[in-house]
Amino acid sequence: MTAPPATGMSLALPRAGALTEALLTPDADAVGAEDVAALRDRLAGDLVALVEELPTGERLRLDGYRFDMAREHPERCRAVEGPFTPSPLVCRRAIGLNAMARCVRGWSPTPAAAVAEVLAAGVEDVADGGDPSSTRPPWWAGWYRSLPAGGRAMVEAEAVTWATQVWTALEWDRFAPAPIVGGGDDWWDCPGTRRLTLRGRADVRVRGDGPPALLVVGSGLPPSDWRSALGFPALVSALARGGSSAPCRVVGLWPASGQVRILPVDAAALSETAGAVVAAVATWVDGRLEAQGLPVT
Amino acid sequence: MAVTAVGQAGVVPRSSSTADAVRPPEGAVLLERLRGQGRARPAVDPGLAGGLRDWLEDGLAGVTDDLAVDGGSVRVTKEALTGVLMCEAHLVARRSSPRNVTLELVRGSLVDALFRQWVTTGRLDDPWSDALGAVRVDGDSDIIGFLDAMTPDSRGDLAREVAEHAGGVVARWPVPSPSWLPRTQERLVVPLVGGRVVLSGVVDLAFGGPAGERASVCVVEIKSGRRRIEHRGDLHFYALLETLRSGAPPFRIATYYTRTGELDVEAVTDDVLVGALQRVLAGTGRLCRLAAGSEPARTANGLCAWCTALPGCEPGQERAGTDVPRQAGDATTDDDFSLLVETETGGAGGTEGDDRP
Repeated sequence: MTAPPATGMSLALPRAGALTEALLTPDADAVGAEDVAALRDRLAGDLVALVEELPTGERLRLDGYRFDMAREHPERCRAVEGPFTPSPLVCRRAIGLNAMARCVRGWSPTPAAAVAEVLAAGVEDVADGGDPSSTRPPWWAGWYRSLPAGGRAMVEAEAVTWATQVWTALEWDRFAPAPIVGGGDDWWDCPGTRRLTLRGRADVRVRGDGPPALLVVGSGLPPSDWRSALGFPALVSALARGGSSAPCRVVGLWPASGQVRILPVDAAALSETAGAVVAAVATWVDGRLEAQGLPVT
Repeated sequence: MAVTAVGQAGVVPRSSSTADAVRPPEGAVLLERLRGQGRARPAVDPGLAGGLRDWLEDGLAGVTDDLAVDGGSVRVTKEALTGVLMCEAHLVARRSSPRNVTLELVRGSLVDALFRQWVTTGRLDDPWSDALGAVRVDGDSDIIGFLDAMTPDSRGDLAREVAEHAGGVVARWPVPSPSWLPRTQERLVVPLVGGRVVLSGVVDLAFGGPAGERASVCVVEIKSGRRRIEHRGDLHFYALLETLRSGAPPFRIATYYTRTGELDVEAVTDDVLVGALQRVLAGTGRLCRLAAGSEPARTANGLCAWCTALPGCEPGQERAGTDVPRQAGDATTDDDFSLLVETETGGAGGTEGDDRP
């Protein structure tokens, strides 16, 4: 199998122009519905056999985080997962995306103002928790509300920094219609089993006449197999939404390093990613078996 | 050309412009100095960042050859650079010792958090409780452990000191306008040699949008300790990182001292960047050799008296006049000790977290 061709990006300043262009430029070979249907059948066949080996009663939800862990730190798949612990670093994306959505809609003038508004609204939603007519509070809001002022300030500062980096990375007024910032994750329940769900996530979804393009924001440096990392949200989106909605490309942005990677999404790219997903699920299944002292088959 | 000499240590000599008689800048004056108001922002040379990157790649070609294939990357931080250029053996000794959490390190963390809070929210209600809330949510267990183990008296002393720093920040620093796009604790990471070498840092405050034809970003480092010549090298390193990352150099770099209110501001010239690059090449070469298992070179310097390797180091003993290392806290007003505190890494360079759920 040959890897999809790498697509370059102009390094001319300001870089936001080139990055925006990368999201607006359609790729010629959009994935067809038939390609996705065939891939879905093949993938489901491979995955069902694998997850049936999971220890009794266990299910696997493979999201981008676990997908990366299986590829980069397979030994960690053997560890018992502790309870989820929020932190400023962990919350920054969720808060930052809400803030950017406010900026895109013109409700807030700057990321900093938007983050403050999002945090205030989150606290309000928690306070209204008993009122059935109120909005369901975001997952971080209860924890954030419990923090002292200094802790809250760190959450706000981290979210402002993240949102500002992403906000300044694009020329937002060039998108028509306005892109979806954050939005819902894509979920795909593997047919033939109730024990595996794939969860894909994109930070920005750019809509146009053709298939959407996705922006995925990463931390630090791009992983060595960035094609799989970018292909994962595209694959889950294609599986969950159907072939005609498959993204045409995924642009990865790593603000801390200023790195950008572009993955044109064609049938070969999806197939390559599907192979990586099968390998990741196998790693997780082995890890769960080893964690329980069961033999790995 | 203001290039920090390799391994040089010492307190910055005071110029007439920073004499005690001169009041530290505050309010609009402080911002004016940071923004360089009245002066045109320098034009960005579109080939500069690529040229610097090529220079680094050429200079580091072959340097990583002896590293283990699966040994990960050599991380180059400002602390690692200063440490390795001062004495390789001292750096190795420190890395193999438990993290030395000192009162100065803890004070720096608390003041950094308060500055971040002030810049972000424009509010500091109770500096001590705000600072504690910040470090607890950030989860540095060493700092938290140190604070928890303090006696009530020493906590009180530290609280008073932290409040003084916070009072100075509030009195002198206007809260930056959100339209300047201020970012705190911004992480900078630059991979080189295919990722075998990673330059990294965390900028206390950056503001200004991404550059187009003209430089537009100002970078500020916050220091709660005394003014030192090494801080200039740290800033130049950050200017280089920002240039490589974004494609354009910052137009201003500055160090702000929360104890005194002193502000050192510098324009970023090609000479600054080239000097930083040469320092990175020199330091990275040494760091790579150490990572490959080479015997560390011993260079006598002002930190020898505190070095845990002193009992087995002849040059160090000659310099220190003893073979018994001093303990942290023996002389906390000593200039060399303050440098020791600042080269304590403890994971410096920032950690990139995953964003869950």
